Amino acid sequence: MNKDDNISEEQLNAFVDGELESEERSCLFNEAERSEELDQRLCQQRKLKELVKHAYKDVPAPKRLLAGGRTGTGMVGLGVAASLLLVLGLTAGMFMRGLFEPAASPGSNTALGNAQSVAATENYILHVVSGEPQQMRLALQKAEELLSTASSGHPRQVEVVANERGLDLLRSDVTLFSDEISALAKEEVIFYACSKAIQRLEEKGVEVQLVPEAIPGYTALDRVVIRMKDGWQYVKI
Amino acid sequence: MAAKKLFGISQRRAFKRLVSNNRERLYRMAYSWTGNPHLADDLVQQTMLKALRNQKQLRDFAAAEGWLFRILANCLTDYRRAKRELQSADDIEIIEKVTPEHQFNDEQLVRRVRRAVQKLPINHRQVVTLVDLEEFSYASVAQILDIPVGTVMSRLCRGRRALRQHLLEIRPQKSSRTAANIKRIK
Repeated sequence: MNKDDNISEEQLNAFVDGELESEERSCLFNEAERSEELDQRLCQQRKLKELVKHAYKDVPAPKRLLAGGRTGTGMVGLGVAASLLLVLGLTAGMFMRGLFEPAASPGSNTALGNAQSVAATENYILHVVSGEPQQMRLALQKAEELLSTASSGHPRQVEVVANERGLDLLRSDVTLFSDEISALAKEEVIFYACSKAIQRLEEKGVEVQLVPEAIPGYTALDRVVIRMKDGWQYVKI
Repeated sequence: MAAKKLFGISQRRAFKRLVSNNRERLYRMAYSWTGNPHLADDLVQQTMLKALRNQKQLRDFAAAEGWLFRILANCLTDYRRAKRELQSADDIEIIEKVTPEHQFNDEQLVRRVRRAVQKLPINHRQVVTLVDLEEFSYASVAQILDIPVGTVMSRLCRGRRALRQHLLEIRPQKSSRTAANIKRIK
């Protein structure tokens, strides 16, 4: 019987995945030296692993994943930002007319699996820019109202994104609404703290501490644009 | 508050940073599992939210990365359960921008491999990608997916065998020999 026949696929996998102990690894190396067929099988396993790695080296990340990190500088970056602002301005105007009113009938959804079609009728992104407590309270009340008025069978998604002075809503050492935020988060409202706004404050020497429910990392602009592209309703407060 | 004492502010900040720093890795994994950038992004958002909410459950900070991927796997399981496993492999459309560059070999290769990965049953796909993309050990994958190490190995074996048949166009190996041949796994 060929010695190669004793080498299982599991062993080959363990070898290419670095799961074998040194002694057994050496044995396999030695066997591969003697057997061209085994050597070829090992090569194929390695090649397969590298192929999978290679195929996902660059995945098509949504633009929002790039936000918050080191972004490009110079005219290109400014141009992209300006374009986004223009898109935001134009589309915001369209959406503002229908504040708090679902736009289309649920029957327009084509499949349960199409999250975006559900989103088109049901979901909202609330953009908090004001540092006024009454405006913040209004935003939270609207979030609560939107949840309570969702049609049955289609849970509504609501996100709150805060930037500029509105970031104070999500700063743990400043906010007056930590209990309300916590309660809404339990109802699946997602809170985003704009990474740019955090960065600006930190550049001024302010140590920004966020409430536990706030997710940092996205810019408010990217978040809003993406959700609007998804068909969400936009409300600026 | 007691919770704040247990999980101090500096720890919370470090945790948030950790979650934020792993977002792209989580996204890549979610994309390899779903083949859909929008769904992948939603899964990652859910994962981040759940991780931040449940950060107190994490006892060992060193195990945080595996814990994050475990949450991601659970999010996908919940999603698929909610959708009653709607999509068969044949239904999955890999969403990619169609660009002229697709004519180049590299693009074609990437698409071919992604298609082959998407055709794997999800259980096999998860194991293959966790091992190949993130280089998790078999023991870590077992923890992330909450399955025995032996199951990790058998799923990996079947997954790679299917990939090999699709991608390398060689005749399949004779048999699935028992893992008993392996004396020691790290």
